[in-house]
Amino acid sequence: MSNFPMPFIHCVIMTLLIVSFSSLAKRPEFQLRLNNHLFYPAEIEIPENTKVKLIIHNQDNTPEEFDSFDLNREKVIFPKKKAIIFIGPLLPGRYDFFGEFNPNSAQGTIIVVPNKLAPDNTESEKNASKSPSNSAVVKEINHVN
Amino acid sequence: MNCRVLTGLLRIISISLAIIFSHVVVADGVVVDKVYHPYVLPNEREFEWRMLSHQNDAGNSLGQRIAYGQSITENIMVEVYLVGERDSNDDFGLSAYEIETRWMITEQGEYWADWGMLFEVEKEHKRDIWEFTTGLLFEKEYGRNSLALNAFLIYETGSDIQNEFETELRLQYRYRWMPQVQPAIEIYVGEDYTGIGPAFMGIQRFNGQKQLKWEMGFITGLNGDNKDHILRLAIEYEF
Repeated sequence: MSNFPMPFIHCVIMTLLIVSFSSLAKRPEFQLRLNNHLFYPAEIEIPENTKVKLIIHNQDNTPEEFDSFDLNREKVIFPKKKAIIFIGPLLPGRYDFFGEFNPNSAQGTIIVVPNKLAPDNTESEKNASKSPSNSAVVKEINHVN
Repeated sequence: MNCRVLTGLLRIISISLAIIFSHVVVADGVVVDKVYHPYVLPNEREFEWRMLSHQNDAGNSLGQRIAYGQSITENIMVEVYLVGERDSNDDFGLSAYEIETRWMITEQGEYWADWGMLFEVEKEHKRDIWEFTTGLLFEKEYGRNSLALNAFLIYETGSDIQNEFETELRLQYRYRWMPQVQPAIEIYVGEDYTGIGPAFMGIQRFNGQKQLKWEMGFITGLNGDNKDHILRLAIEYEF
C-alpha cells in the first residue's frame, strides 16, 4: 500500500478553513415578509459582488420552504419565525425564488444591480429592526391576485 | 454557533485528522460511492437507492444499497442503509448494515465556504468487521459552479479483519446548468485507487417538499489496469 499525501491534504484543509472564516465583516441585511403565502416585497435589489443577509419573517401559521435554483438555496421557514439566508456574491441579473409549499403564490426575485446603482441600506437597516414590513428593501411591487 | 467556537472546533478536528492521516495507509475496498454535500434541511425525509458496477481485469462486481434518512434537528440528518453485493457465485445478498449521520456545521453561504461533518458506522453481515468513518465535508460555490470535497478517516476493526486506519478523498466539480441536468467531474483517491470521470446529476421537484434527485457517474481507474471502470447510479426521493 502506498502512503497517502496527507500533509498536502492537511495544508489544503487548513487553508480552506482559514480562508472560510477570515472574512466576517458585517453584511448588508435585507428583510422580507411572508404573509398569506406571498413574499413582501416580491422584488429586492441588492448590490453586485456582495454577500448579503436575507431575513425572512414568516407571518403565516404554516411553514414554508424558500427555494431557488438560481441562488442555490433551500431553507425551511417555520410559522411565526424568521429564517436567515446568506446569498451572494452575485453578478448582475435576476434570480428567482419561490416557496415550495405554495409555489403558485409565493414567488419573488432578487435583482442584482451594479454597485453604482445599488441601494444604500444603512438607513433601511435601522427601519427594518423597527418594522420588518417596512424594511430594507428598495423596491416593493404589489401582488396582483 | 459562535464563530470563534466554530473555527476552533474545525481547526481541532482538522489537526486531529491530519495527525492521524499522516500515519495511516490508504484503504483497501471500493472508494467510489458518492460525494456528500454539507447541507441538511429540517423536516427532510428521504429514500435512497445507490448502485455501483465495477469492471476491471478481475471481473465484474455489483453493489447496491437502499436507505432511509430523516433530519432529526435543523442541522443533523441520520440515514440507515442496507448494503447488498453480488458474491463470487453470482448470488446477490445482504452484505452490510450502516448508520450515517451528517452534521451541517455552517449556514450555507454564511462564510467563504460551507462545512459539515459525517459520521458512519458499518457492520458487515455474518462477519465480525466494523468500519467507523469520520469525515469533513466542504463545499464552495461561485455563481453556478460548485466544488465539493470530502476527506474521510476510516477505522476498520473486528476479528475477521486486521485493525487499521484508512483514508479517502472525494472531489466533485459541478456546474449547475439547469435543475434536471448538472454536469460534473469527480475524482476519488484512496484504497490504492485513483479514479476520475464525468458525472451528471439533477433534480425534479414535485408538490411541497417532494423531489427526486438522481446522480450518474462513470469513473475510470488510473492505476494501470487494462480495464477499470465504475458506473455509479443514485436515486433519492425526498418528501
